[in-house]
Amino acid sequence: MNASLRTGLEATFKGVEVTGPRDGMMSVSAPSDSIPVVLGYLKDQGLDHLALVSCVDWIDQGKFEVIYLLTCYMRNDTDYSAEQRLHVLLRTEVPRESPSLRSVIEVFANAEPYEREIHELYGVHFEGHPRLIPLFLERHYEVPPFRKDFDTRAYVEQTFGSIPPVED
Amino acid sequence: MDRNQIGKWLRNPAKMANKYSLHAVYFCTGCGIIEIPPVITTRWDAERFGVLPVATPRQGNLFMITGYVSLKTLKAIIRTYEQMPDPKYTVGFGSCPINGGMYWDSYNTIKHLDRYIPVDGWIAGCMPRPEAVFVGVTHLWTLIDKGKADGYLRYRKNYAAYRRNQEMLFGELDWSPLYPVGDEAEEAKR
Repeated sequence: MNASLRTGLEATFKGVEVTGPRDGMMSVSAPSDSIPVVLGYLKDQGLDHLALVSCVDWIDQGKFEVIYLLTCYMRNDTDYSAEQRLHVLLRTEVPRESPSLRSVIEVFANAEPYEREIHELYGVHFEGHPRLIPLFLERHYEVPPFRKDFDTRAYVEQTFGSIPPVED
Repeated sequence: MDRNQIGKWLRNPAKMANKYSLHAVYFCTGCGIIEIPPVITTRWDAERFGVLPVATPRQGNLFMITGYVSLKTLKAIIRTYEQMPDPKYTVGFGSCPINGGMYWDSYNTIKHLDRYIPVDGWIAGCMPRPEAVFVGVTHLWTLIDKGKADGYLRYRKNYAAYRRNQEMLFGELDWSPLYPVGDEAEEAKR
């Protein structure tokens, strides 16, 4: 499956780079506008489980890297063994100034909370997401708190330091 | 029953009964809650000290905050605390409720629990051993004996200040004040 997946990806999509698989992990980087189609293609190839969606802030390069980790639950092939088990990392980059991506909820419905989380912690917008409302945070943050330019200590000093003790 | 304590029982039976029936609210926050199952079950058996876990805050009078308190948890803690009947005792368990602990520079974890609800005692450590819970409980007995475990009275007295601190963090709170504040409090005094 691994070799055919690689050739299939490179033949079907433009601008897709495949590296690996190394230690059972295949890394696929794709342009940000083709993410839903590439995910749909991978899903059809048997990678039917979106394990997580993650984000990295590369502040020096001025971009966010959004990562989708795919794996498969169970295959009916008789030759399927632990050595052949495959994880696929699908990476894409969005500019840091106006980070926006197409939502992949149509392909994987369980991406919904991950996208909400990335939206509130990194400020990446997901087009077509039905409810991008806060998931974990209770307060409004000027800079989303997981960005590298969020000054945690200054924020703590300002927020929690300003609350006076009730009695001593 | 300890014969030496008969005098105390006769003088203030309510206080003594209170002291030996600490019902802990089984409220889990942070990593400290992992210490509570061994404390209440056979290995350390908290029932020797009269400490039992209860299912709902309306039946409990001991509230242990067992670890770091995120903002979302703090909301739940305040509501739970306000539902408990008087007299109630709060114990901060572990170093995180005391001063933030290892989360001292975290953006979403409160640093000083006693600025939002009154706390009667602290158990320091990261994590405290189950034995430390019993040392804490016996200290709490002494405090109750001396009338110093008066967090619920301080909450009533300084409610305006506590409520102000809570509102500084959350903005508008979506529940009404437990005690009258502001103009209402003035009217109540009259």
